[in-house]
Amino acid sequence: MKDLIPPFNAQEVLVMPWTDGLANFGWIALMGFLVAAACGLIGNYLILRRMALVGDAISHSVLPGLAIAFLLAGSRGTLPMFLGALAAAVLTTLIIEVIHQKTRVKQDAAIGIAFSSLFALGVLLISLFADKVDLDQECVLYGEIALVPLEPMTTLGASTLGPPSVVRMALVAVVVLALIGLFYKELLVSSFDPGLAATLGINATLVHYALMSMLSVVVVSAFEAVGAILVIAMLILPGATASLLTHRLPRALGWSVLHAALSSVLGVHLSVWLDCSVAGAMVVMGAVLFALVWVFAPEQGQIARLRRHRADATGTA
Amino acid sequence: MRGRPSSHSQAGGLAGLLLLALLWLPFTAHAAKIGDISETSLSEQAWRFLSFEDPSVRYAVGGSLLLGVSCGLLGSFIVVRKMALVGDALSHAVLPGVALGFLWNMTKDPLAIFLGATIAGVLGTGTVSLITRTTRLKEDTALGLVLASFFAVGICLLTRIQRMSVSGQSGLDKYLFGQAAAIGPDDLRLMAVVTALVVVIVLLLYKELLMASFDPGFARVSGFPVAWLHHGLMLLLAFAVVISLQAVGVVLVSAMLITPAAAAYLLTDRMSRMLALAALVGMVSGVLGAFCSFLGNNLPTGPFMVLAASLVFALAFLFSPRQGVVVRWWRQRSRARRTQRENTLKAIYHVLESRGFAGESVSLRELAERRRETIEDVRGQAGELARHGLATLHEEGNQVLLTPGGWQTAASIVRNHRLWELYLTHEARIAADHVHDDAEKIEHVLGEEVVRELERQLDFAKQDPHGRAIPGAEEIHRPFSSGRSDELLGYGKPQ
Amino acid sequence: MPNAVSNMATPERHPPAPRLMPMPDSAALPVTGPDTPLEVHDLTVAYHKKPVLWGIDLAVPPGRLVGIIGPNGAGKSTLIKAVMGLVPLSSGWVKVFGEPVRRNFTRIGYVPQRESVDWDFPVTVMDVVLMGRYGRLGLFRRPAKRDLDIARECLEKVKLLPFANRQIANLSGGQQQRVFLARALAQESDLYFMDEPFAGVDAATESAIVTLLHELKARGKTLLVVHHDLATAREYFDTLLLLNMRVVAFGPTEQVFTHELLQKTYGGRLTILSEVAEAVKAKAE
Repeated sequence: MKDLIPPFNAQEVLVMPWTDGLANFGWIALMGFLVAAACGLIGNYLILRRMALVGDAISHSVLPGLAIAFLLAGSRGTLPMFLGALAAAVLTTLIIEVIHQKTRVKQDAAIGIAFSSLFALGVLLISLFADKVDLDQECVLYGEIALVPLEPMTTLGASTLGPPSVVRMALVAVVVLALIGLFYKELLVSSFDPGLAATLGINATLVHYALMSMLSVVVVSAFEAVGAILVIAMLILPGATASLLTHRLPRALGWSVLHAALSSVLGVHLSVWLDCSVAGAMVVMGAVLFALVWVFAPEQGQIARLRRHRADATGTA
Repeated sequence: MRGRPSSHSQAGGLAGLLLLALLWLPFTAHAAKIGDISETSLSEQAWRFLSFEDPSVRYAVGGSLLLGVSCGLLGSFIVVRKMALVGDALSHAVLPGVALGFLWNMTKDPLAIFLGATIAGVLGTGTVSLITRTTRLKEDTALGLVLASFFAVGICLLTRIQRMSVSGQSGLDKYLFGQAAAIGPDDLRLMAVVTALVVVIVLLLYKELLMASFDPGFARVSGFPVAWLHHGLMLLLAFAVVISLQAVGVVLVSAMLITPAAAAYLLTDRMSRMLALAALVGMVSGVLGAFCSFLGNNLPTGPFMVLAASLVFALAFLFSPRQGVVVRWWRQRSRARRTQRENTLKAIYHVLESRGFAGESVSLRELAERRRETIEDVRGQAGELARHGLATLHEEGNQVLLTPGGWQTAASIVRNHRLWELYLTHEARIAADHVHDDAEKIEHVLGEEVVRELERQLDFAKQDPHGRAIPGAEEIHRPFSSGRSDELLGYGKPQ
Repeated sequence: MPNAVSNMATPERHPPAPRLMPMPDSAALPVTGPDTPLEVHDLTVAYHKKPVLWGIDLAVPPGRLVGIIGPNGAGKSTLIKAVMGLVPLSSGWVKVFGEPVRRNFTRIGYVPQRESVDWDFPVTVMDVVLMGRYGRLGLFRRPAKRDLDIARECLEKVKLLPFANRQIANLSGGQQQRVFLARALAQESDLYFMDEPFAGVDAATESAIVTLLHELKARGKTLLVVHHDLATAREYFDTLLLLNMRVVAFGPTEQVFTHELLQKTYGGRLTILSEVAEAVKAKAE
């Protein structure tokens, strides 16, 4: 037990990643940031629409899609993976609707049954065809972000861009940002007031499905880096932290990105110190940031609330 | 084609035996590879008597049965209380507790892991309620947050332990996706104790849990400690999750809570039976899952158990006698067909009536005109009637003749329709020209008792609002008192 | 003009008996104590700083059929829930037959709103009605034959005995409401709280429920019923509580159901309501 926490060598933990290890940890931190930023941005809408459970479901259910894509395509091609994941996400939604609409099973149980069955199927496929599918069980759960810098760099013309996962993730993040920017009003109204959205000519169902598709794309891109379960943290933590800091959505989106940046950098440091999974460390730091904000936030933090309570009590007595 | 039944069944029997032997072989062969034959103590002698020879197999099966019961019983309450996500969060949140429990003695100590996991689970649910009470975040967000954050802590600990090069730590990754073969005697004892506790509490407090789940407000007003019952249920849930971890794995335990209970939910209308069924389905999926995972080399057990449970759920979804999708579709189809037949019979009656009941058979053309359909359609309908013994076809199928049964049904339908119209116009004071559509729907579903009641209320009236005769009981049954089905007379000719 | 109860903010735990609104038609002022079904003093309920009920004082004499009426959001449901202890009080106290609620819960019967329950729950009509007996059984004990007989009688009274083994989803709205009523009857209480028992039921059920309520009243029970329909309130209840966060008025129906009091209760937006009230008043004269 005493070996659990390694000694804290400030030089190694805090400085090295930015100097000697930059080539390595730089990419890792960047990847973590991009993943957390993309997930966090979309996650804000999940929180608003009370769809955290759906995010959980989609992140689990893409697994069989990926596994089957691997088996069929025989490689880690981007397009087959995305298609497989999208197909799995659509299948999940269908199964949930069928169970929920046709019987008295409620939605929460329907979601649980759908995604756990699909996830189990995925794990099964991976275990049975271990040699043909380049995913191992651990990777599924917490990703292999540490391997990102080891990939051969992609090039665009003469310049080297970076590892392919990072390039992909950057593209996805940019697309997410662009879509949120372009369809800001539609997303906002349909999240708060679907009825009003209908009268304004916004097709709430279309927005819903578009959001789900974007979510699937983000989840699949993030999957390799952080795995199926930690991606849920990346979806929820930035937005939850941001919602404690502001009531306005644009600022919440900004705070989410900041949270993503901080948690990925701090996560790198933590993982260097503890010699543990990088993705796990990033999420842990994200949770620590959440806890700090929970205590110290100017209006909604616990300290502020306690002060208000005391002021009220003394005021009225 | 006539086969020889005895040789078929012989072949079948042989094939079955062969299959069984083939399946049994890897089961036992593998068991020998997997577990060490541990030292047997007095209590284990008792287990030995029960069935299998290899202790590893017995532990795995025993453990699967026990976790099936626990998860089924508690999962039933989860499903009816709509707390599926809570189960999911709890099962992920226990991971750091498992890791810390392992670190306590640097070995797989069931009790330490149990305590660690339970504490982590309780902390997790406590954190969720803390977040929902002190911020404006909703419960689903809080659950997802706790689920993933706690899991991340667990992953950090797990990967840290892996790199600490500690022996025996390979047992720890089995907790991710489950390995029933890793269940040892100590684990089994713990599982037995916990399952017994769960069963006893559910039995003792059945009515309290039932009422608190169905109507917590009423339960409070009746003096029951609803909050304590809820906390108690959460604690038991944590226990059930923790004992199932080894076999099913952290990620999939919640499925074992929800899926068997959801299958039971579709199979019965009573909570007591649902509990029993959920436990049964849990046991069956558990054992099936353990069995399947033994077949391969180092296959995780969790996914097999979950898929087995999902299979049972799918079967219940499709074929449940009351709720099954296929069953309901079939019933609807039968009902639609019966309505179609009755409408044809009614049309035949109307044609006969319009001729004052002269002549006994109806031509297809007359019927087509009456129903305003094509001759082909009508021919098909007449064929349907013939198939159900309600009519016979003559002159190359161009004439339809009702059988006694067909006549009775036709007259009853017309009677129902006209009685209902009369009722609506007299009792409900609806205008006579509005009642037809209502009566079209009602005529097929009025039961005999209701018809008697209607007749009584309407003083056995003889005419409907449009002046047409309402067939009474004598008209319906009279013509065939002679018992000769091809008797063409007495068909309702006006007396 | 007699006023509603004054707000007495005494810090003591046992304040003196609250002043009642005098009721000229009753023979004597009801004495507060173990015979008073319900006493409420300075009850305040606030959610996140927003008050829902403010300074409620009430003393309900026995044998009354009280209708609680007021606009939406006036706190009618909250009042009966707060009185029963289902909702935390920011201030004030409640006494049922002279005792705090939790010591006298066997004397309270409750009919919640129909929406408060998931009707897909796997229980039968009989299971639900039996729940009315659980309060008297205590922990661990099973219902006995006597409880089953009582449950059957109650089902008979609401004409649902043939449905005893039916799962509760396969019932119409009116039937579901009657199940709740039967359950409350099975509680064999003296003081009943009902939350919108007439909401969404057919006319036949409505009149059956009214008959039942009058029967209970004839047997000396006290009933407090949250009601949504102004027109029928005058007919059904002998006593009315006009509520809009505060008690606007409480007393016999003929005295309380006046245009000006209704105006006060429902606020300024009362055009149709005031016309109805006028018409009803004119019809009565």
